[in-house]
Amino acid sequence: MKKRVTLTFPRRAVQMPVTYRLAKDFNVAANIIRAQVAPNQVGKLVVELLGDIDEIGAALEWMESQNIQVSLASREIVIDEQLCVDCGLCTGVCPTQALTLHPQTAQLQFARSHCVVCEQCIPTCPVQAIATNF
Amino acid sequence: MQRTIAQINDKIRQQQAQVCTVKELKARVADQGVKAVAEAVDVITTGTFEPMESTGAVLNLGHTDPPIKIRQCWLDGVPAYAGLGAVDVYLGATMPAETREGELEERGGGHVLEKLIAGKPVQLRAIGQATDCYPRSALETTISRDTINQFYLSNPRNLYQNFVVGVNGSDRLLHTYLGPLHPNLGNAVYAHPGALSPLLNDPDLELIGIGTKIFLGGGVGYITGEGTQHFPLQRRLENRTPIGPAATIAVTGDAKQMHPDWVRGCYFKQYGPSVMLGVGIPLPVLDEVMVARCAVSDAEIVAPVMDFSIPRRIRPSFGLVTYEQLKQGSIQIEGQTVRTAPLASFYRADQVAELLKQWIVAGEFTLTEAVAPLPRERAFLAQDGMG
Repeated sequence: MKKRVTLTFPRRAVQMPVTYRLAKDFNVAANIIRAQVAPNQVGKLVVELLGDIDEIGAALEWMESQNIQVSLASREIVIDEQLCVDCGLCTGVCPTQALTLHPQTAQLQFARSHCVVCEQCIPTCPVQAIATNF
Repeated sequence: MQRTIAQINDKIRQQQAQVCTVKELKARVADQGVKAVAEAVDVITTGTFEPMESTGAVLNLGHTDPPIKIRQCWLDGVPAYAGLGAVDVYLGATMPAETREGELEERGGGHVLEKLIAGKPVQLRAIGQATDCYPRSALETTISRDTINQFYLSNPRNLYQNFVVGVNGSDRLLHTYLGPLHPNLGNAVYAHPGALSPLLNDPDLELIGIGTKIFLGGGVGYITGEGTQHFPLQRRLENRTPIGPAATIAVTGDAKQMHPDWVRGCYFKQYGPSVMLGVGIPLPVLDEVMVARCAVSDAEIVAPVMDFSIPRRIRPSFGLVTYEQLKQGSIQIEGQTVRTAPLASFYRADQVAELLKQWIVAGEFTLTEAVAPLPRERAFLAQDGMG
């Protein structure tokens, strides 16, 4: 299964090779979507975990035991379809092509799984139809 | 094959007119050829939905008692021009809203137009010049579409016949009327629907003119003349389409019958507010030549790529690209692949053409003969006076 989580590291835990441990001990592949990590600072990591459901559960439990805060609700891009006019301006600033225009109808399509929540689309939208959910 | 507008209108009134959108037409011509399509089709509908800055509305508020001669006016905080008759004001789409302390907000005239068209209430504040005729010096009230006499769009420049592609060759982010342009040629933005666009399907303006009835903001409007910066003498390809911004038109239409889906306030970060407008033009199929013109494809229309990092009247150009390249998602600039994004909504452009088609098929919208042609020649002057 796949699970997207936000990890918040206390200062001390930043030194720990977490994604290595996830792979080695739990056989869980951690795809880093977004990261903000620096020495001696609280770190934030948005990762997509891929692995067996029980092993992901065990991995999450282990991380919590290491004082890593695990949040299942990760920040996501939300598009208000009532406001969107399908102009497509956002598609040019999206680095992962999560935002594209349908090749036939030219309507905006959003592939959430490709989104790295860089938020560049938010100030780009001329009709303020794009926001994050929290 | 020859048809007249009168013959087409007879068929429209009998609900027998054969109408297709310009998107459908291009596919049909590719399939059946110009001659067969010209025989079968009476009207081609075109449309676009894109930001159009030179858009605004005339409002007549009706007189108060005692009356006022308005000299300064704000609608939801957006200054409106009041140097007209006592209670006539003009609200422009790109005027930003300001707080009472004079700070600019991230909305403007375009948003107020949308709100009024949606039938919502808008706050009005006005300062008058007290005279013997008009003793009142201030007014604060709430107006809506239904509580004012006239409310009509009067747009000095809409519907550009082609436009530029914006890129940024500098090393810092630029905030432009094409949205954010990322440094080092990070993205390219084009604000035009290419082959769908009304005026690229009638490149020499032979089928439209002053008085032509059109789709404007979800209602009926009319072409009133050439638009500002009308430049029909722009260099053209063999298919008569211009290689950059060219003809423009001025339009008008009763905003009380428009719909907020087709008049949408918008805001470009650190540039300012504007309005996105849906405009559609029906083109009568009078002969085969016009069908051949309408069959023009994105591969046969070009636009110049301009570097917005040089803030001069004449910006350096990276050459011409086709709309086919632009719509495929990337172009090559000096060996670099640059991602492209539109600012005109092709989806809504097609919807405008579809809606107009439905009106004509239902016999509700007939075509008009132009009262006078739009000028085919006009000098394109610049302002170089230094004092």
